[in-house]
Amino acid sequence: MLPENLKKELQDRIAAVDHPRELVVDVLFALQAHYGFVTDEAVEEAAGLLGMTPMEVDEVATFYTFVYRRPVGKYVIHVCDSVICWLEGGRSLQEYLSQKLSIAPGETTADGLFTLLPVCCIGYCDRAPAMLINKKVYGPLTPETIDQLLDELREAH
Amino acid sequence: MIKLIIDNLRVEVPPGTRVIDAAEQAGIMIPRFCYHPALGAVGACRVCAVQVLEGSCRGIRMSCMIEAEEGMVISTTDEEAVAFRRQVIEWLMANHPHDCPVCDEGGQCLLQDMTVSGGHGRRRLPVKKRTHIDQHLGPLVVHEMNRCIQCYRCVRFYREYAGYTDLGVMGSAGRVYFGRRSDGVLESPFAGNLIDVCPTGVFTDRPSRFKGRYWDFERTPSVCIHCSLGCRVTVNTRYREVVRVEAAHDPQVNGWFICDRGRYGFPYASSPQRPRSARIDGRKSGVDEALDEAARRLSGIAQRHGSGSVALAASGRVCLETLGALTRFGSEKGWRGPFFRAGPRTAEALQSASKNLEEKISISLKDIEKSDFILLVGCDPVNEAPMLALSVRQARRRGAVVALADARSVQLPLDARRLALRPSQLTAALMRFAGKAVADGGAALSDRARGFLQACRDSRVDPAVDEQIDHLGLAARESRRPVVVCGTSAVAPDTPAAAANVARLLAAEGRKAGFFPVLPGANALALGLAGRTADHGAALREALEKGDVRALVVVETNLSELGFSADDPLLENLEALVVCDCLDSAAGRAARVFIPTQTVFEAGGTFVSAEARVREARPAFRGGTPVAQVSGGGHPPRTFSPDIPGADPLPAWQVLAALAREGTRVSADTLRKALPAPLCGAAPGKRLALPASAPDAFQPPEDPATAADGGLEVVVCEHIFGSEPLSRRAACLQELESAPRLGLHPGDAAALQLSAGQRVAVDCGRGVIEGEIEIVNEMARGVLLVPRLRGIDWHAAADGPLVVAVADIRSVKPNGES
Ligand code: SF4
Ligand code: SF4
Ligand code: FES
Ligand code: FES
Repeated sequence: MLPENLKKELQDRIAAVDHPRELVVDVLFALQAHYGFVTDEAVEEAAGLLGMTPMEVDEVATFYTFVYRRPVGKYVIHVCDSVICWLEGGRSLQEYLSQKLSIAPGETTADGLFTLLPVCCIGYCDRAPAMLINKKVYGPLTPETIDQLLDELREAH
Repeated sequence: MIKLIIDNLRVEVPPGTRVIDAAEQAGIMIPRFCYHPALGAVGACRVCAVQVLEGSCRGIRMSCMIEAEEGMVISTTDEEAVAFRRQVIEWLMANHPHDCPVCDEGGQCLLQDMTVSGGHGRRRLPVKKRTHIDQHLGPLVVHEMNRCIQCYRCVRFYREYAGYTDLGVMGSAGRVYFGRRSDGVLESPFAGNLIDVCPTGVFTDRPSRFKGRYWDFERTPSVCIHCSLGCRVTVNTRYREVVRVEAAHDPQVNGWFICDRGRYGFPYASSPQRPRSARIDGRKSGVDEALDEAARRLSGIAQRHGSGSVALAASGRVCLETLGALTRFGSEKGWRGPFFRAGPRTAEALQSASKNLEEKISISLKDIEKSDFILLVGCDPVNEAPMLALSVRQARRRGAVVALADARSVQLPLDARRLALRPSQLTAALMRFAGKAVADGGAALSDRARGFLQACRDSRVDPAVDEQIDHLGLAARESRRPVVVCGTSAVAPDTPAAAANVARLLAAEGRKAGFFPVLPGANALALGLAGRTADHGAALREALEKGDVRALVVVETNLSELGFSADDPLLENLEALVVCDCLDSAAGRAARVFIPTQTVFEAGGTFVSAEARVREARPAFRGGTPVAQVSGGGHPPRTFSPDIPGADPLPAWQVLAALAREGTRVSADTLRKALPAPLCGAAPGKRLALPASAPDAFQPPEDPATAADGGLEVVVCEHIFGSEPLSRRAACLQELESAPRLGLHPGDAAALQLSAGQRVAVDCGRGVIEGEIEIVNEMARGVLLVPRLRGIDWHAAADGPLVVAVADIRSVKPNGES
């Protein structure tokens, strides 16, 4: 269930635009922020708020890599899986991350801290090989910088 | 016309034609996956690539996305184009499983054809194929997502064309997934079309799964007889059994699609319960012996009590040939009937609908798609004539206004304006609507039309709804192609005539107006044209009570439709009950003489659809018990005999000829010619020659006043699954039937102190209808909805909207006590 204040806030934003469905991504992000990921229930709530069918909302939700339809860890690592990063050795970094976290791409560590999601070009080719952790960019990466980063995040936790 | 050259052939096409279609006209079939004439072009699959040599867009182009231009030169055989298409197929095959032998689409698969013809054979991609998890989508359609080539035909059909929302496309790039949000039965009653539109094996037919390949089947052009629209279908048979029914293309009627009732309704024909031998007094006999015995008994009764003591009963499922036999032998012998429909109300509604269909206002389903204003009166398209709902939707997609005047909470796959009205209010409402829809004083109209217009302007329904009706009328003023669609079950007896008159009035004003009746049964129009209004179930009942009728011959009819219950005591009074049917029914079991008849798949037959189109079903196989039933599911028996087991059933018209002692060798043609005009001139494929103008055109209804207050009007509601006598025997459709409940408006429920789930017994005079209450929000007040479903004794209310007093409704405990 959505808290009343969040619901009200979203309703107000929706009321202010001509075509409610143009806000579908914003609403999904808001619900994701609230629930941690976009639950089945959230899809239905978004549909109700926007006057869309749940199927239509799910089509959008499943389309975007940054909308999570399954539970994710505290830190979501979007490691770039595109051509410039490949040229700079991105593939092996991805493998390194997997090995270091003991998870396959798409999985979350047992302690619920990290989720590893390969994505296509994140627009930081100048810093290839690059990755995003909770929307913050890191790169150029080496095994050492990765080690350091993961340690910092673990400690911060 | 536009002239262009495709592969060195001169082609001439109307402006706006796509190159892919222009080529097809010239006999060149350009490969395609995503393009479908009914779904339009999206340019998604890239397999229709051609080389444009001359024209405004030279180079490799998608032929489904470009229009033919004057002077254009196209090559489909150009090296670059061929290489492009081959490459596309290789991509599409990158993730496709190479397991055609275990895929039910194999042999009837566009992807298979394209892959073979494109010359792709060896996989070059070294990576693993992506795989998906399939969903369970219900009893009709199997889902195998790995076979998908992302042409988007399925969602375009399901969502855009048909208007249902539970199927979609999720994910992106290599992960796109076509399915539901989670496993579950597809909600659309048109879901079976996914099987036809999907060019690969993602969606295949569940009931016929692994029953054979395309080339194993005999494919016969036929017509669907599960409602009055007469959609064209292809029947696939194998081993003396109908295996599958597919939509066949008919540009004027069903287009490319059919509904799931039509697709899956056939299993009655091969049901193990289907009676295949004749019976005399409960004892099995040969058909000849039974025919002899029945004829002997009938003539004996006719001799003792007069020929009028023999009566015939028929329904909308008899074909034109059988109707011809009923008419001809009935009149030759002096027998009564055929009796059809339950009583005076439904009989009059059917006949006024049939007889008012005249040339100027009669329209096709295709015309409905092109109309700009559709008023649906007392008809529930999805449940009574499913494909009509899709035609109305196409009109709505093009911007037409759609309005519903109905007692039920009619559900449509589109948004419509609603007027919740009791059946007794519909006639007045229609007329009031017309009074507003005609702008001027009608100076250009004939005297009779003007008289009708005046009656329309004087018409009042109820102050509470008059204003809404007026709005609707005003909204219709600007329409150029208005259509009135009218049902015959949930209306007052004079509503169809009023609907036709409204269409006539709008047409007389110079618009292209149409009237489209929705009728009870595949051949109901013919029955309405050939039968007499006075010959209805109630009249038959009276004649039975008085002893005027001593023998009854029931031909392919469920007596519930004539208002009789399965164990009606009146039937016991008969000296002879002769039942001729292909279904196992209570009447058949009670018959003194039973004669099995052939189904439409064996006998073929001609039917006249609601739009007066003559539809022919050809015999699809010779008949007989399905091989699987004879062999116990194993190898066909290795014993040989000259006859086919279980092939005793005869076409009903031959049965009637034998009962009249005319011998069974009558020709179907002669029987059709025995019918009154215009039926006698029925030529398959053509429309009936309708009268230029109906005799009582513009006759205002006698008393368009609404029924007195108090009491509830009982409306029997047809359901898409579970109501129609043939298709309700299909096990796969039975899973989709709704729960049988009696519908009440919340206001009425409160007034009667009834709540949802409570059981009530409603005394309808002729019988008691018992069931659980359901509160229905959008329905009209003053109405009780009775579903025509198993578990409800609806026959007691079969004669249209009869009125029951509040005192006749009492609540009962689940075990039936008061
Ligand atoms: S499921 Fe079939 S119709 Fe739908 S996109 Fe895939 S191949 Fe096309
Ligand atoms: S709409 Fe009627 S005629 Fe057409 S397929 Fe369905 S049941 Fe058959
Ligand atoms: S390719 Fe990795 S950031 Fe662009
Ligand atoms: S048929 Fe033209 S792109 Fe698919």
